[in-house]
Amino acid sequence: MRLIGLILCLVSLASADVRLPKYTRQQLPNGTVIYLVPRPGVPLVNFRIAVKGGFEAEASTESGVAQLTAQLLRRGTTTRTADQFSLELDSLGGSFNATANEEETLISSEFLKKDFNAGLALTADAVLHPSFPEAEFRKTLSRGIDSLRSVKDNPQGAMPLYFRAFFFGPKHPYGRVADEVSLSNLTRANLIAYQTRLYAGKNLIVVAGGDFDSATAGPALEKAFGTAPAGTEYKWIAEAPLPTGRRLLLIDKPDATQTYFDIGQPGLRRTDPDRTAALLVNTIFGGRFTSMLNDELRVNTGLTYGARSYYDQHRDLGSTVISTYTRTETTERAMDSALELLNRLVTKGITADQLASAKAYVKGTYPPQHLETSDQTTAMVSDIELFGLNRGEVDDLFSRIDAVTLEQANLIARNHYGSKDLTFVVIGNAAKIRDVVKKYAPDFREVSIKATGFTLKQ
Amino acid sequence: MKAIFAALLVPFLLSAADDVKSHVLDNGMKVLVQEDHNIPNVAMYFFYKIGSRNERPGITGVSHFFEHMMFNGAKKYGPKQFDNAMEKAGGNNNAYTTHDLTVYTDWFPATALDLMFDMESDRIRDLAFDPKIIESERGVVYSERRTSVDNSNLGMLYEQLGAAAFTAHPYHWPVVGWPSDIEGWTMDDLKTHFKTGYAPNNCTLVVVGDTTDAQVMALARKYLEPIPRQAPPPAIRTKEPEQHGERRVSVHKQAQLPIQLIAYHVPDAKSPDSDALDVLEALLTNGQSCRLYKRLVDSDQLAINIGGSHQPSLDPGLFVFTIQPRSGIDTTKTEAALFEEIGKVQAAPVPGEELRKAKNQLLSTSFRQQKTIAGRANLLGSYEIFAGDYKKLFSLEKDIEAVTAADVQRVAKKYLTADNRTVATLVPEGK
Repeated sequence: MRLIGLILCLVSLASADVRLPKYTRQQLPNGTVIYLVPRPGVPLVNFRIAVKGGFEAEASTESGVAQLTAQLLRRGTTTRTADQFSLELDSLGGSFNATANEEETLISSEFLKKDFNAGLALTADAVLHPSFPEAEFRKTLSRGIDSLRSVKDNPQGAMPLYFRAFFFGPKHPYGRVADEVSLSNLTRANLIAYQTRLYAGKNLIVVAGGDFDSATAGPALEKAFGTAPAGTEYKWIAEAPLPTGRRLLLIDKPDATQTYFDIGQPGLRRTDPDRTAALLVNTIFGGRFTSMLNDELRVNTGLTYGARSYYDQHRDLGSTVISTYTRTETTERAMDSALELLNRLVTKGITADQLASAKAYVKGTYPPQHLETSDQTTAMVSDIELFGLNRGEVDDLFSRIDAVTLEQANLIARNHYGSKDLTFVVIGNAAKIRDVVKKYAPDFREVSIKATGFTLKQ
Repeated sequence: MKAIFAALLVPFLLSAADDVKSHVLDNGMKVLVQEDHNIPNVAMYFFYKIGSRNERPGITGVSHFFEHMMFNGAKKYGPKQFDNAMEKAGGNNNAYTTHDLTVYTDWFPATALDLMFDMESDRIRDLAFDPKIIESERGVVYSERRTSVDNSNLGMLYEQLGAAAFTAHPYHWPVVGWPSDIEGWTMDDLKTHFKTGYAPNNCTLVVVGDTTDAQVMALARKYLEPIPRQAPPPAIRTKEPEQHGERRVSVHKQAQLPIQLIAYHVPDAKSPDSDALDVLEALLTNGQSCRLYKRLVDSDQLAINIGGSHQPSLDPGLFVFTIQPRSGIDTTKTEAALFEEIGKVQAAPVPGEELRKAKNQLLSTSFRQQKTIAGRANLLGSYEIFAGDYKKLFSLEKDIEAVTAADVQRVAKKYLTADNRTVATLVPEGK
């Protein structure tokens, strides 16, 4: 082991705490926050730029503008055509991705160590100097519209979009999902306005990780991002209320031979003080193979290939979701079973054995999932800055896990899974399951999968 | 711009062949060990050389079903105990089945190494066959088929592509199995399959992570070596006859947009043409600067996206292009553009700079796959099985560098011919 052996061992003993590598934070005069997370060993460098705003910064009439802006960053800059950018990137064997989410646009790239400067120049050019050529805008827009259509051919791909739109509702910024109509209304000027407003020093978090020398990397990053206009700091929007009551949206897909269903309730913010205990409870309920949901719906009854639950955590309140599928004929059995397990979790709680197992599982799986590679650690550092956390998010994780008591875990189970506000989203053959699923919610709506978009027209 | 056409110029591997220790147990099981103390975890991969190519009509999908049954209890660790004990020890697992292989993938803290050897040896030696569990698991596999094939346009089209491209060789049927076979497997089928497929001499074990060669080998000798050698699966006799004319298959299904899969027969992974085919795949389908993206997605705006795949295989396999045409685009247009681009590669050698770019892409992709212990365990095992020697992973740079523009042109002309292709089209209905 010639190179790997040089890497500092992140964890000295399996039972000891995990730690993020050492990093530095610097704020430039234009407001840009720069982190250096050097990690010698693997001869790669990676850059991660978070631009505050994301979907929540979109005007209500401009759904999709954040994502389209992200997609166009590499399709022409003030000094490179789209072709030149792609050729340069691919010739270096580099990677470049840009995507928007609820609260940020994330640009991440990775290059060989020796290409630090070339990779940084390409990445910064895309983020700071996109030119949004009209022809590229037209092409990307029309392709985006077709992509949104084709996602409906894959129920598991379409489900998160329908779910987000219905769970949060059209008045909530997380609930405005881009569709053919909203995209068609966008203009190049909308993208330029979005990029100019948000991609400015005061909203930029830049993290560089990997095998580099901080003495030269720091000034290089400062030079690349220090020229960005300071702009106006983006103000997070006020917290938005979620719809209440039991509601069900049925999406009719007449050729479906199985029913896909998500059952959601209000979840957690990314910074919720309960997040560690909630992680453990969710591990037990639906976060691993032996979880209550998968054990019953898959292992005991063979109703599905997989059943799980997860927290979708954001700056504002997200959702806690049960997600699975079953053949059309067993829709009612599977949905009843999922609800019965939810009720069991809330009323009977979990056991000390379950909690101990979940603690070991979360600790044991954490290093390969979050600390093994440089891009994993830069992602964590970027989140720490965006959400106003600190390195204790990782360094204290194991002690926070150890501190969770059975009483606390069961309180979390009651508080975070016992909501009366349940949102059901079901994709399946409506003619066969309509009467079955109506019973789950007095507020019942139905839409054809062929209807435009993902949002029910009110 | 000149610098960007340079070769990668750094050793692209994270480790070298001599970092890997290779052993063969007395019962014939091969064991590869690579120490890596970056994180306190271990990746442990068992590659059984049995997959759907070892099946026959009537029991198609049984290899994949078996992959599921391996988690349902053995002699010492009963039903559910494998997963329960593993998760309680901080580990998790998965498994996958292909036409050629069944692979069991365990990831766990180094402290669980002894437990994992104990549990893995238990299920290889003494798997339980409980009729009730078999019936329940049949339902799970059905659900997997419904998800990945029946309710997936791409999955259904892929199944039909394979069935049309292979008329005689076992790659004809899907890994998950035909529906009637999923319903029909008997207990005898399962027991026979287990006996042949799970012979220790039919397995390669790869362990990468926070352990030592000595630790791994002590445990392998304790737990795995006593399992007796058995007759391995019979050789696959049937060879796919040469194709003498284009084949077409269509699937009519409710869909927003069509999908096209265009496949060409290519040789197995040990063929000397494999590296040139990889380079050809990269320059046609890799990144936004590749030929097909530039033509079909960007300049002509015929497709939402394009893709290419040339997976290593034990027997001659397929080089598959995937096209998702744009709304309102006639699929004859996307096909014509693809064929024209293939024609250009056949007509003239690719320029040196473009060849350089494709090679850099291939090498950096392999490099990235080696960042994790799991990625390296998978690559080491795959090279050992498909290339016949894990050391091929470490000569990849040299092998790829040896590919010339003339090689790329030659393999394009040899394999990407009209007579050798199968075109599968998903035709949307019910709009």
